[in-house]
Amino acid sequence: MKRIAWVAGFIVLAALPFFLGSYHNDVYRKLLLWITLALGYNFLFGICGQVAFSHFAFYGIGAYSVVILLFQFNLPLPVAIVLGVVICAGIALVVAIPATRLEGFYLALVTLALAQLFIVVLNEGGNVTGGTGGIANYRLPPIFGWRIAGPPYTLVIVGLLAATFALLWRLDHSWFGRACRALRDNPEAAAAMGVDVARTKVIVFTLTSALAGIAGMVYAFVDNTVNPPIFGLDNAFLILFMVIVGGAGRHAGAVIGATLLFLLPFWLSPLVGHHHQLIFGVLVVAAILAQPKGLIGLWDRFSK
Amino acid sequence: MGSILEVRRLTKRFGGLTAVAGLDFNLGDGEILGLIGPNGAGKTTTFNIIAGTYAADEGEVRFAGEPILGLPPHQIARRGLMRTFQHNRPFGGMPVLENVMVGAHTRFSRNVFSRKASTEERDRRRRAEELIEFVGLGGLRDADVGTLSFGQGRLLEIARALAGEPRAILFDEPAAGLTAAEIDRLAGILRGIAERGIAVLLIEHDMRFLLPLAHRVVVLNFGARIAQGTPQEVRSDRAVMEAYLGDAAAL
Repeated sequence: MKRIAWVAGFIVLAALPFFLGSYHNDVYRKLLLWITLALGYNFLFGICGQVAFSHFAFYGIGAYSVVILLFQFNLPLPVAIVLGVVICAGIALVVAIPATRLEGFYLALVTLALAQLFIVVLNEGGNVTGGTGGIANYRLPPIFGWRIAGPPYTLVIVGLLAATFALLWRLDHSWFGRACRALRDNPEAAAAMGVDVARTKVIVFTLTSALAGIAGMVYAFVDNTVNPPIFGLDNAFLILFMVIVGGAGRHAGAVIGATLLFLLPFWLSPLVGHHHQLIFGVLVVAAILAQPKGLIGLWDRFSK
Repeated sequence: MGSILEVRRLTKRFGGLTAVAGLDFNLGDGEILGLIGPNGAGKTTTFNIIAGTYAADEGEVRFAGEPILGLPPHQIARRGLMRTFQHNRPFGGMPVLENVMVGAHTRFSRNVFSRKASTEERDRRRRAEELIEFVGLGGLRDADVGTLSFGQGRLLEIARALAGEPRAILFDEPAAGLTAAEIDRLAGILRGIAERGIAVLLIEHDMRFLLPLAHRVVVLNFGARIAQGTPQEVRSDRAVMEAYLGDAAAL
């Protein structure tokens, strides 16, 4: 019964793009990508308790990797995708192994440095990254002779969201997810219960970073342009805000937070211009002070 | 009785201080062994070495015949040697049942995507519920751990350790901070655990709790074993009396 409801929900998500115009398809695609990113970041930050600022950078690494491999090195699409995932997972491992052996604060610092370094590399990358202008005017190569574009490409994103959610849900509802929550709540007690704390952290960081990278690869063909400003620190913090406002540690919280903070500027911009950032800031402070369990925590309280 | 845990010539020095000095003892299956001694005798240090939190300078610790000295805590738990904490360390973000389920961490098959995973999860959940009943937390299965009393938190520690299906459990002053009624309940639970064939090592301060409960007692002073035997033998031992001089009433 429950499974039928989930499948029905995703069928609705999949059918929607065919009823939307091209502008709304674009908004819808980006909303789905933000939800995908927030779900992954929620697993890392909310469930496993690791404060990292590199999630959005990995989104960028995925996007740039697939574009560079395809159009600068002229590799075939499947090879570019596989190599892109390997690059994201590889960088994540290199960062995570030393960082998670230290206390949590150092992971935050190292990932913040990585996010900054990524932007520097993009700007200074010359012909390979396209420098400050990035890379544009490319198109997704045909797959079995078919150029996927328009609503069918939105379907690809729905599929990405469904697969990401299914994977994270399965992990969360197993001994693995429990181990993540345990090490977040009390690492010493988790170790005493047999949880390999360092190893679990490295796995979660690598997995969620690779998932962000995959989402980035899909994003690369949404705007058909990649440039440094897109992958700046603003969005790295926005993703943290989404998870906190929605309710850290809960999948539904990530979905609500991502949806609200992504759509809010559309409504607020006509009213306050670019000052919506200020309203976000107030929302985050309010959530931390008044409702640490986020909007989903509020929902729980009123639905009881 | 076969020994599940063997400690040999265990020595730990902190700078010039020898906290544990050539300690020897055995723990048998289903046995309740008390490790006692005045403050600073080296009980907690010994506990932390066996549990994998401290490294030792010399000696050997064997569990089920295999050396475990130097293994990290999670590998010691995996082998079937669990522990409780003196200051309760619950997982605050989860209800009671989930806390106990974490204790079973090492007993799941690795692949979370297999068909078996969900039946396994269900079986473990049922077992965790039984353990919650066994320690007397029935009805609190879905409670937020933040709402538990200190005594209930201690019982949760025990249920969580049992969920790992251990062959031995190390208890770090389990009676500390409990009311008299809770201590009585605790003694019954510990006897029940030993009757299941699980070896129980108690680090304890409270003699009135320990002596009627333990099958055997090892007495430490200045890191060395000064006596061992049944509670009756130890109670009348001269060296023990001297170690507790001025505190003889406690015996």
